[in-house]
Amino acid sequence: MNIKGSPWKGSLLLLLVSNLLLSHYIHNLSSEMFSEFDKRYTHGRGFITKAINSCHTSSLATPEDKEQAQQINQKDFLSLIVSILRSWNEPLYHLVTEVRGMQEAPEAILSKAVEIEEQTKRLLEGMELIVSQVHPETKENEIYPVWSGLPSLQMADEESRLSAYYNLLHCLRRDSHKIDNYLKLLKCRIIHNNNC
Amino acid sequence: MDLWQLLLTLALAGSSDAFSGSEDSSKEPKFTKCRSPERETFSCHWTDEVHHGTKNLGPIQLFYTRRNTQEWTQEWKECPDYVSAGENSCYFNSSFTSIWIPYCIKLTSNGGTVDEKCFSVDEIVQPDPPIALNWTLLNVSLTGIHADIQVRWEAPRNADIQKGWMVLEYELQYKEVNETKWKMMDPILSTSVPVYSLKVDKEYEVRVRSKQRNSGNYGEFSEVLYVTLPQMNQFTCEEDFYFPWLLIIIFGIFGLTVMLFVFLFSKQQRIKMLILPPVPVPKIKGIDPDLLKEGKLEEVNTILAIHDSYKPEFHSDDSWVEFIELDIDEPDEKTEGSDTDRLLSSDHEKSHSNLGVKDGDSGRTSCCEPDILETDFNANDIHEGTSEVAQPQRLKGEADLLCLDQKNQNNSPYHDVCPATQQPSVIQAEKNKPQPLPTEGAESTHQAAHIQLSNPSSLANIDFYAQVSDITPAGSVVLSPGQKNKAGMSQCDMHPEMVSLCQENFLMDNAYFCEADAKKCIPVAPHIKVESHIQPSFNQEDIYITTESLTTAAGRPGTAEHVPGSEMPVPDYTSIHIVQSPQGLILNATALPLPDKEFLSSCGYVSTDQLNKIMP
Repeated sequence: MNIKGSPWKGSLLLLLVSNLLLSHYIHNLSSEMFSEFDKRYTHGRGFITKAINSCHTSSLATPEDKEQAQQINQKDFLSLIVSILRSWNEPLYHLVTEVRGMQEAPEAILSKAVEIEEQTKRLLEGMELIVSQVHPETKENEIYPVWSGLPSLQMADEESRLSAYYNLLHCLRRDSHKIDNYLKLLKCRIIHNNNC
Repeated sequence: MDLWQLLLTLALAGSSDAFSGSEDSSKEPKFTKCRSPERETFSCHWTDEVHHGTKNLGPIQLFYTRRNTQEWTQEWKECPDYVSAGENSCYFNSSFTSIWIPYCIKLTSNGGTVDEKCFSVDEIVQPDPPIALNWTLLNVSLTGIHADIQVRWEAPRNADIQKGWMVLEYELQYKEVNETKWKMMDPILSTSVPVYSLKVDKEYEVRVRSKQRNSGNYGEFSEVLYVTLPQMNQFTCEEDFYFPWLLIIIFGIFGLTVMLFVFLFSKQQRIKMLILPPVPVPKIKGIDPDLLKEGKLEEVNTILAIHDSYKPEFHSDDSWVEFIELDIDEPDEKTEGSDTDRLLSSDHEKSHSNLGVKDGDSGRTSCCEPDILETDFNANDIHEGTSEVAQPQRLKGEADLLCLDQKNQNNSPYHDVCPATQQPSVIQAEKNKPQPLPTEGAESTHQAAHIQLSNPSSLANIDFYAQVSDITPAGSVVLSPGQKNKAGMSQCDMHPEMVSLCQENFLMDNAYFCEADAKKCIPVAPHIKVESHIQPSFNQEDIYITTESLTTAAGRPGTAEHVPGSEMPVPDYTSIHIVQSPQGLILNATALPLPDKEFLSSCGYVSTDQLNKIMP
């Protein structure tokens, strides 16, 4: 779907592409972080089954397959992306704080967490800029899912705590993949007019 | 027997147990694999139950559920398609496939859950193998043993790469045909990759598999690509041979630089001269002004002697003789005058102040070979100022002197060596008509004259030229007193003798002479031997003068009359050599004596030239 007369100027397209690079980068970091965590703490312990449950962003009605992603209108699409990114500000902040506070803090995981938090902020700013240019009528206060998993990260029980971290990192990997995917589809839509 | 039966029973029991165990374990179907090739559909497979036992599991069913929200719906749905994926499989098409939503499936048989599994589709993505593998040769090594190739392929058809729905990464493996272990390369995101250092004589197998980036598993391998590198022996030769131009140039420059430095800093002057010959500095021979200032008249004398018309005091060289020849100036040689002429008439057309030069008489050959000598003398005249060549120059000068005096200048006022009454005592042979005289006689006379002339006591230095003691800044020359017996003096002194003797006249052109004298001389000297290539332009009567008679005459007067004359501070006649000045020297009026009686006596009148000479 290409909106005629869309205000996608060259600079905005460049911004979109740069955001795409950011999302690609964030997804890579998330995957690596998850793999390292799993290998180090939770491998082969059956956490997968439990982690299926809860990502705080699951409540968002996001496109779940290719057809849905191609059918959703551009404005909603952009709003969803921004919402997801907004919803991850707080979890990422707490993730960094908690990992840093761990005794024997795994440096690899911590550095990645720090990097992901920073780059996600930049990506959010970039996407908000695009939205303000393309859809200036969009309200500033968009509802976004709130993360409430902090207590679980601070649980005393190691098993529970590890499960909470596992779940958080699993969800982070998934959502970063989702955003990366969305931006790729968006780029094909806007730049190539869906004829990639 | 009993033992064998016991063992057999045990064996049977064990096997039956095993058998029963496997049978039991194989009863329940299990999920073997769930796979999504393109992230749009997926399918699950389970094992086919083997019913060896009495239990009958009944039809197997698969139920799935997916979590839409935070809550599990707990609503199990049955597999939509048991057929498309084959036996014991369940196929979920795109409408049933959600990506970021987790699924749970369970396998039931007779209502009882046999197996259960939960996953999200991204986790089970396993792309199809890449297609269209091909390779191209990149290059062959110089040795011809190894080669590099580029392998290309395409993504599987069902993977939506263009829209960005899937991002695939690939892994290439290769090995030699007869090897067993595959070599693996790092995963790459592009669909072509170079493979380096394959051996040319071996055959290789290449295969590629793909995986979704950051999730899922590797798919199946593609078909094997066989790589057979061509044997390129001829290429090897061509590639090996290349002319190392660069090396040659570098080494050549280096060698030349080394050689240059060796030559520059070497002590071998010869080589140095060869490589870097010294640039000749122009040398202008002249008289060092310091010599003139310091009054070193000896050196100046020698320097001046280089010039043709200068007669130094010493005339001990016999070779002098050969230079002395009577010149018979040709009519067209009038431009050549004696030194005195030029001296006294500086405003004449003689631009070149090389006295005696015009005669071409450099003294090196016969006097009267202007053609040969002229240019030489011209060339040497200015540049000769060193005393080194004073000796031959002196001779030259003497010869020139003699020759010049012999010459006749037509239009140029001729100033005799001796402005005395007579014409200059220098041997003069002027004739309009060249008189062929035996050379020998001339030579002998020359020699005699030379001898006489070289007698310092009598004639004193036939230098009828005065020696310059100083050169004033104005350009005029101060003649040195008492330096030498001026030849002019001596010869002047000679004059009356001569006149008295033989009435010989030394005639120059334009010079006046007493007819009486001339007449006297004419019969007396019938046998003047003159050799002249240069005919003095003497319009007067031909006067023949023998050197012999001249010398005798010269010798006769002795020094008696000469002495006073010689002691005169300044001769009655001066000739000044040109010293680095094309204009000639101007005689200093104060240095000139009043004309002697000699000057005036003989003829009773004074030629204008003589007058000019006296009073410049």
